[in-house]
Amino acid sequence: MSANSANISASSAGSKKSLKTFSDDIWKNKTAKINAELFTLTYGSIVSQLCTDFERDFKKVNSHLSAMGYNIGVRLIEDFLARTALPRCDSFTQTSEVISKCAFKIFLNVTPQVGNWSSSKDTFSLFLDENPLSDFVELPMDAVKELWYSNILCGVLKGALEMVQMDCDVWFVSDVLRGDQNTEMRVKLNRIMKEEIPAGED
Amino acid sequence: MAIYSFWIFDRHCNCIFDREWTLKSNQSSGTTNSKQNEDTAKLLYGMIFSLRSISQKLSGEGSHNEIRTISTGKYRAHILCTASGLWFVLLSDLKQEDLSHVLRYLYSEIYVKTVVHNWFSPVDFAESDSEKRGQGVRKIRNRSFLANVERFLGPMVN
Repeated sequence: MSANSANISASSAGSKKSLKTFSDDIWKNKTAKINAELFTLTYGSIVSQLCTDFERDFKKVNSHLSAMGYNIGVRLIEDFLARTALPRCDSFTQTSEVISKCAFKIFLNVTPQVGNWSSSKDTFSLFLDENPLSDFVELPMDAVKELWYSNILCGVLKGALEMVQMDCDVWFVSDVLRGDQNTEMRVKLNRIMKEEIPAGED
Repeated sequence: MAIYSFWIFDRHCNCIFDREWTLKSNQSSGTTNSKQNEDTAKLLYGMIFSLRSISQKLSGEGSHNEIRTISTGKYRAHILCTASGLWFVLLSDLKQEDLSHVLRYLYSEIYVKTVVHNWFSPVDFAESDSEKRGQGVRKIRNRSFLANVERFLGPMVN
């Protein structure tokens, strides 16, 4: 079973259509499902607790959510690789496809649109038409300008990408919860990190 | 079917797990084979590291070419390299042509579930820069990981 998936993934990573089929299959067959409301409400209770703990200093809440996400990301990447057996991506374009069609699909069952590429091809946006984290949520007046409610996702992506040697910045530029037209995350590749080699080898 | 040993290396070039089934500990001195394993781990890492760089160079720029097995006259090394930089290595007798499914199981069903999903276990075993680049000595200590590896690989040893 797992040996097969390694072969499929190696051939499918290049093609968009099969990447979708490949991810659908993992979502259907290799992913344990939990109740969406339990998930959404658990996340909501974390964010609201942080708002209380930091006395409604939403900048601190944002950075805390991102730090929590980072710690999740460095672990989640292993789960992701164990399930998909995908190799490293050849290009940042391919990375964007794998994040949207594969990673978001497998863990959240949504497929954000990729777009808004920078001319140097090192920054792209993910447009979240659906966001399972923020169902039922309405931001209070004092939070609406400062809180990035789903900021944990930025940390998750940053942590996961760092583990595959990509140093990235990830941030939200808009969120429907703040009254914006859409929910948009930016992902910027700073550099590909060098792999370590044993001391004395260079 | 015979498996001789199982090794895990992390992205800091450190051996974070080793289990050798063929060496008997020296009863008289009371020491185990850990020192010997330490040297073997370095040699094994070096062999895979070199062959891996060569095979990737020979396959041309930009294409993936991960090393899977290395055969010698007496044993075969089976290797799984993950995109996150972990190497899982099994040494077996020559009858085992392909143990990639076993390596995959060790990774996704044992390592991920007992180490990665256990929030009280580190996932990065180097605690400072001085423990990177092959200089680290920390190992996976989770009891459930050790027990699961033993339960899974034990029956394949002989």
